[in-house]
Amino acid sequence: MINITLNGVPLEVEKGTTLLEAAQFLGFPIPTLCHMEGLHPYGACRLCIVEIGEGPRAKLVSSCTYPAEEGLKVRTSSSRVVKARRMVIELLLASCPQSKTIQDIASAHDVRQQRFRQEHEDCILCGRCVRMCEEQMVAKAIGFVGRGAGRAIGTPFGKRSEVCRQCGGCMYVCPACELRCTYSEPDKAICGGCANLAPPCLEKEQFDDLMCYMKPCVACEIPKS
Amino acid sequence: MRTPTSVDELAALRRRVVADRASRPPKPVLVLSAGICGQASGANDVMRVIKRNLLERGLTDRITLRITGCQGFCEMDPSIVVEPGNHLYPKVRMEHVPRIIEATLGGFVAEELIYRDPLEGKMYLGLGEIPFFKKQTRTVLGANQKLDPIRIHDYLEEGGYAALEKVLARNDPAWVVEEVKASGLRGRGGAGFPTGVKWERARAERNGRGKFMVCNCDEGDPGAYMDRSLLEGNPHAIIEGMVIAAFAIGASHGIVYVRSEYPLAIKHTVIALGQARGLGLLGKDILGTGFDFDIEIVKGAGAFVCGEETALIRSVMGFAGEPRQRPPYPIQKGIEGRPTCINNVETLANVPVIINRGAAEYAKVGVPGNTGTKIFSVVGKIRNTGLVEVPLGTTIREVVHDIGGGAPGKARIKAVQTGGPSGGCIPASLFDLPIDYDSLSQAGSIMGSGGMIVMDDNTCMVDVARYFMKFLKDESCGKCFTCRKGTQRMWEILDDVTKGRATLDQLGLLKELAETVRDTSMCGLGQSAPNPVLSTLRYFRKEYEEHVVNKRCPAYVCDELVGAPCQTACPLGTEAWRYVAHVARGENDLAYQAIREANPFPSVCARVCNHPCEERCRAGTTGGEAVAIRALKRFVTDQADPLSFRPKRTPTAPANAPPVAVVGCGPAGLTAAHYLSLRGYKVTVFDTESEPGGMLFSAIPSYRLPHDVVRREIASLIDENVTVRCGTMLGRDITLDGLFEEGYGAVFLALGAHKSLRLGLPDEDAAGILPSIQFLKAWNLRGESLAHGRVVVVGGGNSAIDAARVARRQEGVESVTILYRRTRDEMPAFEEEVEAALQEGVTLLTLAAPVKILVADGKAIGVECIKNALGERDESGRPRPVPIAGSEFIVPLDTLVVAISEGSDTDCVAVAGANRIATSATGTVKVDRDTLLTNRPGVFAGGDVVTGPNTVVDAIAAGKRAAVMIDRYLRAEPLSVAAAPRLPEILVAPPEAGADEAVPKGRVAPPRLPVSQRERSFAEVEVALSAADASREARRCLRCDLTFTQRPAARDEVPELALAGGAS
Repeated sequence: MINITLNGVPLEVEKGTTLLEAAQFLGFPIPTLCHMEGLHPYGACRLCIVEIGEGPRAKLVSSCTYPAEEGLKVRTSSSRVVKARRMVIELLLASCPQSKTIQDIASAHDVRQQRFRQEHEDCILCGRCVRMCEEQMVAKAIGFVGRGAGRAIGTPFGKRSEVCRQCGGCMYVCPACELRCTYSEPDKAICGGCANLAPPCLEKEQFDDLMCYMKPCVACEIPKS
Repeated sequence: MRTPTSVDELAALRRRVVADRASRPPKPVLVLSAGICGQASGANDVMRVIKRNLLERGLTDRITLRITGCQGFCEMDPSIVVEPGNHLYPKVRMEHVPRIIEATLGGFVAEELIYRDPLEGKMYLGLGEIPFFKKQTRTVLGANQKLDPIRIHDYLEEGGYAALEKVLARNDPAWVVEEVKASGLRGRGGAGFPTGVKWERARAERNGRGKFMVCNCDEGDPGAYMDRSLLEGNPHAIIEGMVIAAFAIGASHGIVYVRSEYPLAIKHTVIALGQARGLGLLGKDILGTGFDFDIEIVKGAGAFVCGEETALIRSVMGFAGEPRQRPPYPIQKGIEGRPTCINNVETLANVPVIINRGAAEYAKVGVPGNTGTKIFSVVGKIRNTGLVEVPLGTTIREVVHDIGGGAPGKARIKAVQTGGPSGGCIPASLFDLPIDYDSLSQAGSIMGSGGMIVMDDNTCMVDVARYFMKFLKDESCGKCFTCRKGTQRMWEILDDVTKGRATLDQLGLLKELAETVRDTSMCGLGQSAPNPVLSTLRYFRKEYEEHVVNKRCPAYVCDELVGAPCQTACPLGTEAWRYVAHVARGENDLAYQAIREANPFPSVCARVCNHPCEERCRAGTTGGEAVAIRALKRFVTDQADPLSFRPKRTPTAPANAPPVAVVGCGPAGLTAAHYLSLRGYKVTVFDTESEPGGMLFSAIPSYRLPHDVVRREIASLIDENVTVRCGTMLGRDITLDGLFEEGYGAVFLALGAHKSLRLGLPDEDAAGILPSIQFLKAWNLRGESLAHGRVVVVGGGNSAIDAARVARRQEGVESVTILYRRTRDEMPAFEEEVEAALQEGVTLLTLAAPVKILVADGKAIGVECIKNALGERDESGRPRPVPIAGSEFIVPLDTLVVAISEGSDTDCVAVAGANRIATSATGTVKVDRDTLLTNRPGVFAGGDVVTGPNTVVDAIAAGKRAAVMIDRYLRAEPLSVAAAPRLPEILVAPPEAGADEAVPKGRVAPPRLPVSQRERSFAEVEVALSAADASREARRCLRCDLTFTQRPAARDEVPELALAGGAS
C-alpha cells in the first residue's frame, strides 16, 4: 500500500492507483475528457491536471496517468491548477465550441469566453474512440494519422477498414459528439447516436453529416463535404 | 589479423598496431574533411583530384591521403589540413590541389592558399593558432581529424578501444558506474541528467529478460549537427562508449537510433559495427568475458519528437512516435517493457575519455557541477560558422566573439538562441553568462543539444519566435491537447503580430498561453516549446510592442509591416522604389512627381540627406550593395524646376480658420508652413536671420549644398498663404502670448539647434577657439574666414567634417586635422564625407581625445591629447573609448574648432521658460512624441529644437507631422492617429529588359569634382549621374514593391467566399 496526501487529506491506496482514481475515491472533482473507465489512461486532454511536489519542484501532471507514489503531496485545485485548467478549457472552446460536454465543463469552471480565433472542429483528438476500438472492440480499425496540427483520426490509408464491424463504439464514447444530440432543431435533437448501436450517419438524409467527423467515416465511407 | 579472444589479446593487438605505425617512416598526410557538409561544398571532387594526382605522379608512398569526417570549421569546407605542421588550406578547389601537393612534397607552405583571417588578412600557418581553434578544447571532436572513420586501424592507432580494454580487464561494472558518476558527466542531449546516476539506476533494475542500451542520434534541431558529425567522423568512439555503458548496466541489446536523414552517419556506423564484430568487440561472449552485447541500427523516420525518450521507445517498437507519461521511466520500463537506458551520442563519446583519463582528471575540465566539454554548433549571423567544443562554464561572449569571430558585417549581434526550437534567446547584455545547464535555464533558455544561433540587428525576434513556433506546431506529436493546440495558437498570435494585426491584449494572452503550455504538457517538447516565446517576450518586449503599437518591424524583416524597406525607412515615407522604377523606365517627370509629393525639399535632400533608405535597401542587406538612391534622386531633381511642380491642394481648413505662426524658417518650419498652406491655412513664418533657410544656409557649406539650390526650392514653397518675416526673434521681437493675442490659432516652434557643446576644459574661452556653428555661420552667412594657420577640429560628426572641409578652403589655413576619440569606423559622419575630406588633404587623427588646452598670451597654441583604446560596447552599440594612461601628446595649433555636438541654443531655453514651455535637461523643448504638442495648448514644436542636432530629413518629417497635427488641432479633432504600415500601392511596371544589356552588378559611384579643382573653391563637389548611369543603377533595384502592388487583390476575400460556400 502507498500513502499519499490529497489536498491535505492522508490516504492509503493500492500500488498502481492513479491520482485521478484516488481523488475520485475521496470525492474531489476533477474534470476529464479523454479519460474513460474501462479504457487505458491516455493523458491527452490535459484537463485532469493536478499539482504535485512542493516548492520549486512542484509541477503539474495529468492525474489520469500519474501513478500514486509514496509520500506524494497532491493538490487538485490549487491556483496554479485552476489557472492552467481554465486556459485549457478556453483552448477547447476555441476549437470545438459545439460540444455540450465542453460547454458544460466551461460553465462549471466559469469560463465565459475564449480569446482565440474561433474554429469549428468536430474532434478534439482525445483518442477515446481509438482506445475503444482497440481495447474493448479489439478491432484496431481506426488510429491516429499524422502529427502536430495535421493529426487526425482515420483508418489505415484512408480506406474503409476491413476490420471495422460498424459497432458504433467509437461514436458512443465520443465526448465531442453531444451537440448532435442537442441540435438547434428540436425535432432532430435526439438522434439516438449515443445509445443506438446503428450509426445514425448511415441515415444520411435525416441527420446530414452531423455524426461524421472522420474523413472518410469508418462505417459508411461517405466523404464529408 | 586474428580475432582477439581475450582482453590480453586485444591489448597485444593494440600495442602491435601502435608499434607498426611508429616503425613506419613518417610521411606527410593530406587530411581532407569530407563529412556530409564537406561533400556538399565539393570535397568529393577534391578527393578525386587528389587521388588522381597521387596515382599519376606515383606519389602514393610519399604522401598519405586521409579522408575524415567533419572537423567542425564548416565555414572553410572543403578544407585540407597538411600534417605535420597542421597547415590549414580552406575552401579548396580542384585546381588548388597540385599546388598543395607540391608544397607538401617540398615541405613548404603555399602561402596564397593558406588560411588567412578574412578581415585582417593575417596568415596563420598552424591550425592551432587560428582563433577559431585556439580557444577550443577539442577533447571529443579533435579525434575527427586524426582518423578515417571507416578504418578501425586508425581508431586503434589513436588509442581506441583502450577504455574498453581497461573496463573488461577490471571486469567490475560497479566501478564503471562509479567512475562515470565521479566524473560528473551530464547528459549532452539537453536535459543534463547525471549519466552516472542514470546508469546506477539502470544497473539496479532487476529484470531477467535483458536490458537495452540505446544511443540517441535523433538530432532534429534546426542548426545543430554535432551528433551527426561525431557519428560520421568517429563511429568507433560511440560504439566503444555503448559497449562500456552496456557492460556497466548489464544490457544485452544495443540500438543506435539515427535519423534516416543522416545517410553518411548510417553508412559509417554500419561499417564500424561490422569491423567491431570482426574484432570480437561485439557479439556473444565478448573477449572471453562472458559478456554478450550486440548493436543494431534503427533508422528514425524524421519526427522531431522521437528524440524524446519515451517517443523514441515507441518508434523503435514500430509505433508512431508519441511520448507517454513518466514514471515509469525508460530505465524501469522501456523497449518491450524492459529496462532501457538511453544516452545521447555526445554523452557516449565522452565515456571512453573518462575511462582513459580517469574521472578525477576529467572532472578538472569545466566547472563544478558542469564538468567536461560540450560541442556547440555556432551558426547564424557569425563570421566563423562551425562546431565549437569548449569546457562547460565558458561564457557566451567567448564562444561568440573570440571563437566565432563576432558579426560578419556591420550589424550588431543582439542575441543568441541556444538549444534549438525549444530553447530561448539570450540577449547580448547577458553574454557574460557561463554556458552551463543551470545558468541557461535560469536565463530562460536550455542547453538542448547545443545549437547556438547568433542573431544581429537584422533579425526580428518576433519573426524568430514565429519561425520556431511553426516548426514546433508541425513537429508536436499532437497527443497532448495543450501542446498541439497551444503551439498552433501561439503561432497564430505571433503571425498576427508580424502582420500588424495583433493587439496588446493578445500579447498578454500569448504569455498566459505560453505559461500554460509549459506547465501542462506531458513531455519535454511541449514543456519547452514556449521557451522561444517567453524568452523573446522577456528580453525583447520592445520589439513586440513596436510591431503591435507602431506597426513597425525594427529589423525590417516582417513583410506586411515593412512593405518596401526604402519607403518605410524614410522618415517622410518617400516612395523611393517608385521613383527608382520611373528612372529605370526613363520617366523623369513622373519620378520627380513621386519625390516631390512626399518631400518639399527634393533638391536639398538629393544632396545632404543621410539616406536611411539606402541603409535598409534589400539589395544591400542581402549581401550586395545598396542602390544609390540619393544619387538617383539627384539625377531626377537636377532636371526639374521646383516651380514647375503644382502640389495638390486639399483644403481642410474651416472657413474662418485663424492664421498659424511658425517660428524658425529652417526645413522643419518651412515644411510645416507649406503643408498648412496646402490645407488652406494662412501662415506667418518668423526668423531671426535675414534670409529664410535656417541650417540649410548657416550650417551646410555651399560646396555640398549650393545656396541658389536652396533659394530656388524655398521660393517654390512660399505661396500666397505664406508670409515670411525675417529679422524677427522670439523673445526679443515677439512672444507666444503676443502671437496668440494677435489672433494666431496655433504656433509651431522650429527654432533649430544653434549652439555647439563645449569640451568642458579650462581655458576654453581663449582666442582661437571656436564653436563649429559659429565658425560655419561666419563663413556661410557673412563670408568671414575665422580659421588660420594650423587648424584642429575636434569631433567626428558631419559638423566636424564640414568645419574641416570649410577650413581647408579658407585663405591662410596651412593644415587641417580632425581629432576623434574612436576609430573611423565609429564616426557618425557620412562615410563619403570623410572620404572626400581625406581626399582634400584633411588629416584624421583617431583614438585621440583632448585633455588640456595650451594657452600663451591668451591665445590657444596647442592641445594636449590622450590616446584611447576601444573598450566594451556602450548603449549606443559603439565601443567605448578608454584612455591609455601616460600616452599624452601635444598637437600644436593656431585655430581650434569644437564640433562635438550641437545643443539647442541656451537663449531658446530662456525664451521657452519665459513663454512657459517645458524643456528637458539637455536644453531641448519637450513634446509629446506622437503629436508634437508641448505642455502649452496650441503650441507645437519639432525639428532640432526637440531632438537636438539631427538630420535634414528628420526635420522635414517633423514639419510634415506638425502640419497634420495643427490642422487637426484647429479643427478640434483628436490628435493621435493609429499607426499603420505604409505599403506600396501604385504599380509601376518593371521596364522590359533589353536583350543586350545585363543588369550591372556593382553600385555606381556618384561622380565628384577632381580634387585639384576643389582647392579653395566652393563649387559643388558631388555631380549628378549621367542618364545612362542613372538608368543602369535604377535597374539594380530589386523591386520589393511588386510583392504588394502585383498581388491579387482578392487574396483576402478568398477565405470569406469559402466560408460562405461552406455555410450554405
